[in-house]
Amino acid sequence: MIELLDRRADEAAGAASPPKIDVRGLEFFYGKSQALKSVHLAVPANAVTAIIGPSGCGKSTLLRTINRIYELYPDQRAAGEIVIDGRNILDPRYPLSTLRRCVGMVFQKPTPFATSIRKNVAFALSYYERLPKAELSDRTEDALRQAALWDEVKDKLDASALSLSGGQQQRLCIARTLAVRPEIILLDEPTSALDPISTAKIEELIHELRQRFTIVIVTHNMQQAARVSQRTAFFHLGELIEVGDTSQIFTNPHVQRTQDYITGRYG
Amino acid sequence: MPQPHGHTLKAFDRDMAELRGLITDMGAFAEAAIEEAMRCLVERDREAAHVLVEADVQLDELEAEAERRVVELIALRAPMADDLRDAIAALKIAGVVERIGDYAKNIARRVRRLPPKGEIEPLSLLPEMAKIASAMVHDVLTAFLERDADKAVAVCRRDDAVDDFYESIFRTLLTYMMEDPQNIGPSTTLLFVAKNLERIGDHATNIAEMVYYAATGERLVDGGD
Repeated sequence: MIELLDRRADEAAGAASPPKIDVRGLEFFYGKSQALKSVHLAVPANAVTAIIGPSGCGKSTLLRTINRIYELYPDQRAAGEIVIDGRNILDPRYPLSTLRRCVGMVFQKPTPFATSIRKNVAFALSYYERLPKAELSDRTEDALRQAALWDEVKDKLDASALSLSGGQQQRLCIARTLAVRPEIILLDEPTSALDPISTAKIEELIHELRQRFTIVIVTHNMQQAARVSQRTAFFHLGELIEVGDTSQIFTNPHVQRTQDYITGRYG
Repeated sequence: MPQPHGHTLKAFDRDMAELRGLITDMGAFAEAAIEEAMRCLVERDREAAHVLVEADVQLDELEAEAERRVVELIALRAPMADDLRDAIAALKIAGVVERIGDYAKNIARRVRRLPPKGEIEPLSLLPEMAKIASAMVHDVLTAFLERDADKAVAVCRRDDAVDDFYESIFRTLLTYMMEDPQNIGPSTTLLFVAKNLERIGDHATNIAEMVYYAATGERLVDGGD
């Protein structure tokens, strides 16, 4: 009961407090083809927002825009605003290094570096900060603990990251992201390549992390969106069709297209 | 909300259609039981009344089957949104229809409490009341089958007629009992029958509220008034 009340309070807070990320009139183009059309989306702090929708609906594009990773590619262009803590991060004057440190991202397939477990985490840290060796070691341990991986790897920190299982590799990538103490974590289908137990561990981790971070997760797995998020946004053909509390979206969506998608009547 | 097209997974549509069919069968069974119980009462047909009491177990079995199917549907298909609301509604409606069957059974049980022959004047009012109650059951299950929220609201509105009937029968029976203490026995029996019919109307109204929620996602406040 208390948990239920907490959840209700969380949901109410999520809707009321100022958004951590405020997407305003976002448009995105791959060359001439438009992938996002006038998207307005408020992402609350300390909550998990799930982005769902069929392939090609623009959900991954949205994530790629929030950390401006698209800038690595010519021909890709965003217009509109993404305001984080009052500043438009799409403004070319907004320093990329500040953004990358504030916004961490984890991808569908684990992407560990072909080096030791320890160096995988420490690398990101020493990239952004000059830390004394002892503190570097503390921060590495801290990140691995937060990613719920410490107990499994503490005796083999110098082993190759590639020797870990897929689920462990993914948690290592999360640890690497957490090490630089970001405020926002973007997860692009983080469990689609994992078995059910590894998936459950990551979902539990997401649940814990949301106390301290703002999390946006893209997932094809509707049950996963329902399990881990407080807010859910449904995208279709580059448009935001509906956004609301996850419990509302999955029990009583207001838009027919949302209902058709989540109940499997799409198309 | 209408469902413009079926599920990509056709087997899901089949499961849902079968579940709806099962609930509708239960409703038809309960409706027939009410009518038969009233016929037995009017004609004092004790033998048929006994058969009807024994037959109630079939409705219990249908309810168990509906429950099994809903649990399976939730476990295997993980329904969402209106599908989930429909599945939960089917489960709850099955329970309520089973209860309606129990009221019909109770009416049939009362038949042997009445004198085997002879005119009992207030008895003439009861079949009309039963007709409204069983029509409510019929219509509310049609509303479920067709996902028709408006039809569900219309059923709720008719519950007042059943309540009015009950009030009027109550007064009539009371007068009858005061006229002659010999009437107390049969009149009490008829009073129980009227109460059972009144409860059937209430349960049909409950089902209407479930149908309304399943179809719209909103709660029906105060019987749609």
